[in-house]
Amino acid sequence: MKTPGLTRRSALRWGCGHCLGMAGLFGAASALAQPADASLAPTSNALPDRFGRPSLDSDEGGLWAMMDREETRLRRSPFVLRDKALTQYVQDLACRLGGDHCPDIRVHVVRTPLFNANMAPNGMMQVWTGLLLRVENEAQLAAVLGHEIGHYLERHSTERLRDAKSRMAFAQFMGLFGAVGALGQLGVLAGSFAFSRDHETRADRLGMQLMQRSGYDGRQAAQVWENLLGELKVTGGEDAGKRSPMMATHPPVETRRADLLQLAGTTPGRLGEDEFLKATSTHRLDWMLDEVKRGQYEESLLLFDRMLAKRANDAQALFSRGEVYRLRAGPDDFAKSLADLNETVRLESAPLQAHRSLGLLHKQRSDAVAATQAFEKYLSVAPDAPDATLIKTYISGLTL
Amino acid sequence: MKKIILAALITVLAGCGTTIVKVEGDQLVNNRMRVRVTDAWNKVSLVNNKQPYDIWTQEGMALDQLRLWAALPSGQSLVVSTQSTPSGQTAPRLPTFMAGMQPDQLVNLFEVMYSVDGSLVTMNKVEPTVFAGEKGVRLEFAVMRKSDGVQLNGVAWAAIRKGELYAASFVAPRLSFFPRLVSKAESVVKTAQIQG
Repeated sequence: MKTPGLTRRSALRWGCGHCLGMAGLFGAASALAQPADASLAPTSNALPDRFGRPSLDSDEGGLWAMMDREETRLRRSPFVLRDKALTQYVQDLACRLGGDHCPDIRVHVVRTPLFNANMAPNGMMQVWTGLLLRVENEAQLAAVLGHEIGHYLERHSTERLRDAKSRMAFAQFMGLFGAVGALGQLGVLAGSFAFSRDHETRADRLGMQLMQRSGYDGRQAAQVWENLLGELKVTGGEDAGKRSPMMATHPPVETRRADLLQLAGTTPGRLGEDEFLKATSTHRLDWMLDEVKRGQYEESLLLFDRMLAKRANDAQALFSRGEVYRLRAGPDDFAKSLADLNETVRLESAPLQAHRSLGLLHKQRSDAVAATQAFEKYLSVAPDAPDATLIKTYISGLTL
Repeated sequence: MKKIILAALITVLAGCGTTIVKVEGDQLVNNRMRVRVTDAWNKVSLVNNKQPYDIWTQEGMALDQLRLWAALPSGQSLVVSTQSTPSGQTAPRLPTFMAGMQPDQLVNLFEVMYSVDGSLVTMNKVEPTVFAGEKGVRLEFAVMRKSDGVQLNGVAWAAIRKGELYAASFVAPRLSFFPRLVSKAESVVKTAQIQG
């Protein structure tokens, strides 16, 4: 490997860990906000041929080797979801988008409640569950994956590797003491903006081309952005769209939605909502509970509000929103939580935890009868729940 | 390259001013909770990272941590952010204790505290207990640590007295370290007594 001073960790910071759909979308938005530059557009609709493995003594070959080692580590990681059906579903989608490059793309679904997807130059693609929870249909997922495949097809990681040599010392320093601790502080993982504006523009356009070629509604790419911008505003303020949260030197991004809509044009396409919900249904409640445990209640409320605006009888989203209100315990939150949880338990598909949460609310307002009833319902369904002993203590206290 | 990285690491650690001292015998946490140490523990002080809890360890911070809170007032978070919030932005929420919290809400504080870096927390057992002479809650949990994928086990105790939180938590890798060290943590926690 010819690149002087390249370490695995520093390389991962651009090649693997930080492309991410959201960072990509941010960067692309800022680029798209500028007048269209014909030189940045893909020159034809044809995709490049499949890539052969680069020579190990080249910088690109070294990067591939590091990504291979990272992928070996990832395969052993307890964060990888061992659900063949779900992984195959996302893999098939990536394959449809990637066309002839399908055999080189390997999808790994990673259980982490943040919005993130990335693709390494060796074909390793990570899709985090926070992304799967936030996208509303297959078309939106295709928009993010298509963008990442766009970076891959244009070998942007390698370009960044060559460009970043002069910043190696800084990258190593950041790699050692990076923002791991900050991960959970953004519902949207606003990473280190690994790619340049030109790269993001190209990946965005290529991503749009890939998703539309696969029959999806390109306008859903704009919807992904709009939804995420809403969450970013919780901590980023109303100006969240005008600046990148990590690099103040990036230009404004507030026109992103319009730019993506312009790229999408008026071509109709498929949403794939039912297919997406079916593929993710087994894990959806777990991902929602992971989201609640992040403790970023305002971001979570936006997400659950959005879900409920689409399907008012979504028992899992209703329970999760009620749980967020209960745990936030701000002014008016008690009443909102009570309303959501009462509504949840009336639904046939109510999560069993809803009875527990409802019991806790009734106990808090000293309604012994209603609390006992809810707790007993919870224990009848989950007699071995981790908190069964505590709940039984509550019941004993209520019936004294 | 390794030498450069090592030098950078040493420089940064030196700048942080982290100190580790051995603690034995009676110890006072935040001048409000007394514990008796039967085994020798190492107390870690992070000069530029002032947290509202004492940190003790047997094998090192990355391997095991016993955290002790004493008299945490209502409205204060269990952890302090080490990152500044840019102008015009809002700081992310931190798990914050409020007087009058129910045991299940105390449990949630620990869930959030150990999840904040993207780690995954699973609650295994929650039960009533007596901690520092007060009725409280004891929880056992597992943590899948995001930074390195290590699977940890944890145990925590929490109780409220006069609107202030008294708590302890111990976390270590599931294999070897937790089974070997948890009894030492338990033996410290059992001696906790509130002062004043």
